Amino acid sequence: MVSIKDFHFSYRRKPVFTGLNLELRPGHIYGLLGKNGMGKSTLLRNIAGLLFPRKGSIRALGFEPGRRQPAFLQKVFLVPEEFYLPPIRIDEWVGHTAPFYQDFDQLLFERVVADFDIPLLSRLDEMSYGQRKKALIGFAIATNAPLLLMDEPTNGLDILSKGQFRKVIAGAVDDNKCILISTHQVKDLENLIDRITVIDEGKILFDQGLDAISASLHFKLSFDPAETAQALYHESSFSGNALILPNTDGKDSRPDLEMLYKAIVSDGAKINAVFAGRPGETPRKINQTN
Amino acid sequence: MLVTLHWAENRKRYGLGLLAMGGLLCAWFGFIIGVDKYTPMDFFYQYSSYFAGLYFVGCLYASMIFSELGNRAQGIRWLSIPASHLEKLLCALFFSVLLFFVAFTLIFYLVDIPMVKLASHIIVREHYKYQGTNQLIGPMGVMNIFSGNGLSIPDRDMFLLGFFAAQSAFILGSVYFSRYSFVKSAIAVVILMFIAVLFITRVVQGNIPAGWRLSGLGEWIRSYNLTGSSGLVRLPAWFEKSRSFLVEFSVPLIFWFITYFRLKEKEV
Repeated sequence: MVSIKDFHFSYRRKPVFTGLNLELRPGHIYGLLGKNGMGKSTLLRNIAGLLFPRKGSIRALGFEPGRRQPAFLQKVFLVPEEFYLPPIRIDEWVGHTAPFYQDFDQLLFERVVADFDIPLLSRLDEMSYGQRKKALIGFAIATNAPLLLMDEPTNGLDILSKGQFRKVIAGAVDDNKCILISTHQVKDLENLIDRITVIDEGKILFDQGLDAISASLHFKLSFDPAETAQALYHESSFSGNALILPNTDGKDSRPDLEMLYKAIVSDGAKINAVFAGRPGETPRKINQTN
Repeated sequence: MLVTLHWAENRKRYGLGLLAMGGLLCAWFGFIIGVDKYTPMDFFYQYSSYFAGLYFVGCLYASMIFSELGNRAQGIRWLSIPASHLEKLLCALFFSVLLFFVAFTLIFYLVDIPMVKLASHIIVREHYKYQGTNQLIGPMGVMNIFSGNGLSIPDRDMFLLGFFAAQSAFILGSVYFSRYSFVKSAIAVVILMFIAVLFITRVVQGNIPAGWRLSGLGEWIRSYNLTGSSGLVRLPAWFEKSRSFLVEFSVPLIFWFITYFRLKEKEV
């Protein structure tokens, strides 16, 4: 669905990506993680055709995004972190914008917006940032675009809305769609994403499916100093030491994405070494969340 | 679809803009009527007010037509709308060139006609006479901007066609310059004109034999010299007319063409 090869990008003389390779497949929700300023938004905008690679190539849905052909733009929707909605009523905005998207589902939009508790007759310029963001997310989902790109989608959403967001996104993905969510709020995406890609200094630091993570790493709390010493990564907490251990005997545990992210950022090589024998695993299919 | 979308999103702004334009014209004409007791609202005032307003407001509006591209959030939305760059450019030209010209002319006459009648009414009521004579000043007439009311107005076509050329430069400027597009475009236009003048007065003139000078676009003349001879070289009329036509009409087309390619390579 999306193929990124030897991707280079820079802002003037500041390089952001230097030879990135990445494949995104349909039927999955990808979590794109990384520190601030590491190029997550830049990558999304390149995939959406709003920026152009300086070297290398990006192919998305069979198109070269940078050409911004209408047929491509109908099939990709970017929910940016900073977004603009016109100062008109929601129904007017949808009425004039939806016809650009052949597969737009009006009923789905109304359902999502109702789930988000936003009245259809509200004026967009009189709504809060969070409400406008929810309206935009609802629109993005209703376009039925096969490729949905979301940049920090949970920023500005309240706690209840974050739960609704996870529910809505999980219900939106199917075998033909691919959702790429860029965030630094990993907790918000737990139980939603099925593959984690961590970028740092323009390169992929970590790229694994959740199945592989569960199979290879064991997350647990422990008071045992010996066990803590063996951990790939550990954090102190009131309820004991939170550990990431190699999963040598197939134990089942729920991955703590935030802790995993910290472990990768602090010593990615150590974590990646555990996955050395299992590169390029196919990510598991999403079937539910929340 | 793009046209209806653009209209839906901007109609309030445009409505207010037209009202403001009408209000400013009213105030300006009111000022003229108050200040000039003898020839208020004569053809010169109407003519110059029309073109000054057309150029200033038209170029100001044109410099904002792609202002979305100067703002990342708006630019992302605008570039992501599933329509081709050509369709987006044509939509912008429809509003900024065609619709603006029609709307401005309509608003101008909506204000101009009653103001001319008001000025005429005052002149007739007050029995104003031309200075130093007993001749009564007659009522004012409404200027037809396109025909010139039969009057010989120098460079009328140049003013009209020049407007589209100037406006196209500001449309291009709105893509090039993210901020202060109007001011930057105005500076760029002045610099371009300065370069053109320099080219004609220095480069072209420098290549013409001594004693000959350029007079118009297709005419060279030699003034009387010491031997008492003079000369005139003129290109054929059809050639000169074709070239003038191309110069007058091709400038907007060239700028629109460049705008199209700038839109295609625009990044946000």
